[in-house]
Amino acid sequence: MKAFAFARPASFAEAGELLADRRYSLPVLKAGGMDVVDHMKEGLLEPDLLIDIRATGVRPAGISRTDDGGLRIGAMTTLAEIAASPIVRATAPVVADAAGSAATPQVRNVATAAGNLLQRPRCWYYRNEQFHCLKKGGHTCYAVEGENKFHAIFGGGPCHIVHPSNLAPALAVCGGRVHLTGGDRPSLSIDDLYHAPAQGVWSEHELEKNEIITHITIGPASRSGFYAVKEKQSFDWPLVMASVMLRTQGSSITAARVSAGAVAPIPWRLPAVEAALAGVRVDDDAGLRKACAGAADGANPLSDNAYKASLLPVAVRRAVLRATGRDEKEA
Amino acid sequence: MSEQRDHLPTIMPTSNRPINAGAALDDDTARLDAVAKVTGRARYARDRYEPNALFAAFIRCPFGAATLTGLDEAAAKAVPGVVDVKRTGDEGRYHGEPVGFVVAESKHALRRGLRAVAPKWKRGSVKTTITDDAGPIPATEDDVAEAIANADHVIEAVYSTPVQTHSALETHGVVVDHRGDTATVYASTQGTFSVRDGIGDALGLARSEFEVRCEYVGGGFGAKFGPGKEGMLAAEVARRHERPVYVFCDRAEEHLDTGNRPSSRTHVRVGFAKDGTPLATRVHTWGGVGVARRGGGARIPSQRYDLGSVQKTHEDVQFNAGGPRAMRAPGWPQGAFAEELLLDEIATVAGVDPLALRRRLDGDTARRAMYDLGADLIGWSRRAKTGTQSSVVRRGFGVGTTSWPRIPARAEAEVVVHRDGSVEARTGTQDIGQGQRTAMGVIAATKLGVPLRLVTVMIGRSSYPVGPGSGGSMTLPNTAPAMMAAALDARSKVLEHVARRRGMEANELTIADGYVIRGEERLVGWEDACRGLPDDGVTGRGDGRSGAAHRGEGTSAGVQFVELTVDSETGVIAVERVVAIQACGQVVSRKTAESQIIGGVIQGISYALFEDKLLDRNLGAMVNPNLEMYKIVGSRDMPHIEPVLWTQGQTGVRSLGEPPVVPTAGAIAAAVFNAIGAPVRHLPLTPDKVLAAQEGGAA
Ligand SMILES: Cc1cc2nc3c(=O)[nH]c(=O)nc-3n(C[C@H](O)[C@H](O)[C@H](O)COP(=O)(O)OP(=O)(O)OC[C@H]3O[C@@H](n4cnc5c(N)ncnc54)[C@H](O)[C@@H]3O)c2cc1C
Ligand code: SF4
Repeated sequence: MKAFAFARPASFAEAGELLADRRYSLPVLKAGGMDVVDHMKEGLLEPDLLIDIRATGVRPAGISRTDDGGLRIGAMTTLAEIAASPIVRATAPVVADAAGSAATPQVRNVATAAGNLLQRPRCWYYRNEQFHCLKKGGHTCYAVEGENKFHAIFGGGPCHIVHPSNLAPALAVCGGRVHLTGGDRPSLSIDDLYHAPAQGVWSEHELEKNEIITHITIGPASRSGFYAVKEKQSFDWPLVMASVMLRTQGSSITAARVSAGAVAPIPWRLPAVEAALAGVRVDDDAGLRKACAGAADGANPLSDNAYKASLLPVAVRRAVLRATGRDEKEA
Repeated sequence: MSEQRDHLPTIMPTSNRPINAGAALDDDTARLDAVAKVTGRARYARDRYEPNALFAAFIRCPFGAATLTGLDEAAAKAVPGVVDVKRTGDEGRYHGEPVGFVVAESKHALRRGLRAVAPKWKRGSVKTTITDDAGPIPATEDDVAEAIANADHVIEAVYSTPVQTHSALETHGVVVDHRGDTATVYASTQGTFSVRDGIGDALGLARSEFEVRCEYVGGGFGAKFGPGKEGMLAAEVARRHERPVYVFCDRAEEHLDTGNRPSSRTHVRVGFAKDGTPLATRVHTWGGVGVARRGGGARIPSQRYDLGSVQKTHEDVQFNAGGPRAMRAPGWPQGAFAEELLLDEIATVAGVDPLALRRRLDGDTARRAMYDLGADLIGWSRRAKTGTQSSVVRRGFGVGTTSWPRIPARAEAEVVVHRDGSVEARTGTQDIGQGQRTAMGVIAATKLGVPLRLVTVMIGRSSYPVGPGSGGSMTLPNTAPAMMAAALDARSKVLEHVARRRGMEANELTIADGYVIRGEERLVGWEDACRGLPDDGVTGRGDGRSGAAHRGEGTSAGVQFVELTVDSETGVIAVERVVAIQACGQVVSRKTAESQIIGGVIQGISYALFEDKLLDRNLGAMVNPNLEMYKIVGSRDMPHIEPVLWTQGQTGVRSLGEPPVVPTAGAIAAAVFNAIGAPVRHLPLTPDKVLAAQEGGAA
């Protein structure tokens, strides 16, 4: 780790000024610091100014209702606060469960919503300083010919990371938007926040250097559900996860949004499943199963991760069942 | 004397406490150093930051095979605080192999120095698994081949286990405080005396001129004997600079270069009768020893079951990885995994209950009784026949067995009784977490007849009476008789003084509950009695010979039962309960004994479900050298574990450290087979493998 300057701005505006300060060549925002500090320790990131924005922003009113029945979540709200919030649970259970299922209690107490969205991938080649892979400016993706059990089955190439965020797919199905300061755009939808490796391999998201997320908004999504499959139930990353939001009339699904996590370099929308779910009755187990069966269609697994294609339809169906308030293992 | 221990809860959350009640010399004392450990007051070797210390670390090969073509020693030496850079080799044969080292004034300068040397490497081709270079299976002897061929049924299968790293919480390391003509060596070790014997030459000191200290150890599991590379480096640098030197592995180094439980492959061909009785078995095992020459043996057949006439052959296979070291029951869990799953496969083909089959093949009388108790405790009658469940979540039951011999070793102990009534119990052995400190205290107190609070346990120093390393489950079976003899010797010496002053015969007297007693009469309190001792108190001595009467003979048999569920759609396994019945002779401290069993089971679950040292197949580099992607069981994966201490008909202290880790993975694999109807023959039992086994029959 190299010596660096440390700043604790009192507002996002002040943080923005620091980001633009020409005296520093690599100013970096630190929220919870879970990911930033890991990068510094591994020698992957050497900022000369670390801007701690944890004290900044919109606390204590971290989470509030919006006029359209949705929610506004401050950028510095922790995963633990989101998971424990009664209004998140009532308005968008998929978001509460996605936050509550991430990482460990210790991590959730520190990790922030914005930091979770902008965290970098967990690819073991990326995380280890000694592998100079494509994402770090090298010439090779080591995962392709190497160890790729946890890599992408969709949307990969030339880099095959999965996006690690639990929150991103959950927010995406709730029509989530990140609200920005410091740049030209007031906001960006979660769907537009990320780009595929083919559109740029060195970063995963579209934010400019000076843009800061101030808060996140979502629409109402009371019929929504999250399901993650993990090898290990403590301190582990999902093998696949699914976020689902349903609109229903009577007991029929009229519209669905489905986004998968840990299967692609970006939150992976499944439009075919969304279309297939429309019109299915929530108590029609066979119909639901059929609608979800194609969740992994078009997957392009690497040598060791085809199992994810078997898990994905299960995770999606279980998220749908949760969205309808059913026990996912009985149907 | 630990003032805190009274505040600890005395009830451990195990539901079978009544079964164990009364089994131990001490039923309820929590481990003596529990509070010191959980509050951070306990000072481990890793916590030793001596004033004026230097820090040293190895420059290591980052690939499975590579030649060092350049090292920028000048750049590293230019880093402020870097004291020395040395190149010691050019060839790296595995990820983590040392080729030089850096010495610096601080950890920070050390890290910067290690980066500044910027080694240049030319990579070579690598072998990364046990299969890359495995030889063929030698021919089967005619009579075995014939017996198999003539059997009613034959199963031929391959089982495999991954490389498991010891992953000690306190990594490997040593701090040497060198003061010219003397030194103190603070070691995180399982063998205080083995460090003394191995490090003297490097220190340039005779064994009598320095002391090794080992107050606390954050786990060893077999990989912490002798000074190790870290200790030798610390000694060498300390001697050269005549300054304290600190060498401790970081987490990656701990995974890469401190040994491991080697990977294994087991090929079995067994012929058995209609009722499942094995008639002949051909076993060939391969052990993955990395760049080492040997150490990959897998213990199958275990000899716990009659497998008919058996022919066993073995080959150690080299590849580009660090070599194995002993790890808790070396070779046994690998063998038990294959053997227990095989038995369940045989039972399923034969259509018999796998527990009934084991009863038939296992001649050990203790275990046969344990089968009954365990079946009752786990609820074996709820077990569905293998392959009959169709629900999403399927329930499985499995059973596995273990045994461990008593391995003799030299051990001596002293019990000093001071005139103020305080007591020192001394032996040089170490407490690696197994509870040795507590056991020594309990023995001294109970055999003297005084409250435990009067006893200070002094262990982990090479200047104390000699004792064994903590491996092979040797510590307590050898030190307990010596400490018992020492305490009894001290007691007779105290009683002789009391008797002489009162004109009585010493053999009329005894000590209990802190009083000297004659007949029914409390003659005098302990403290008052001690006031009459000579100025320097009395010292009782014990060793293996004088303690022979307290020795436990015979093996420590055990049986474990597992209940789990498998989510058939996701392949995720949830272990719900483990009943672990374990013989160990005379229990000294019930809590630490139970903890030892629980710890073995936890390590076995972790081995069964998660752990896997994974090397990149092209580069030979470990991709998961951390505790994030090298997965170790966590709290939410923990079942309810019920340890049962089996003491029926046993005297003396037997071994307990290793046997509980042996059967767990095999019992889990058997239970998974029972649940889903297809055997998963390759550890770890991750969802991808479970799903593949379900789809394709056997995996
Ligand atoms: C053991 C472990 C397990 C984990 N498991 C999971 C899991 O299962 N699921 C999951 O989703 N995550 C998991 N995580 C990751 C963890 O949730 C993230 O590291 C964390 O959410 C990051 O948040 P932070 O506030 O600490 O971000 P930081 O580390 O502070 O920042 C992360 C990035 O976001 C940028 N940033 C932060 N705030 C802003 C802002 N307001 N505007 C612009 N840029 C900003 C920073 O500059 C940095 O680039 C795990 C982590 C660990 C250590
Ligand atoms: S998947 Fe991406 S991050 Fe991982 S090795 Fe390939 S290029 Fe690098």
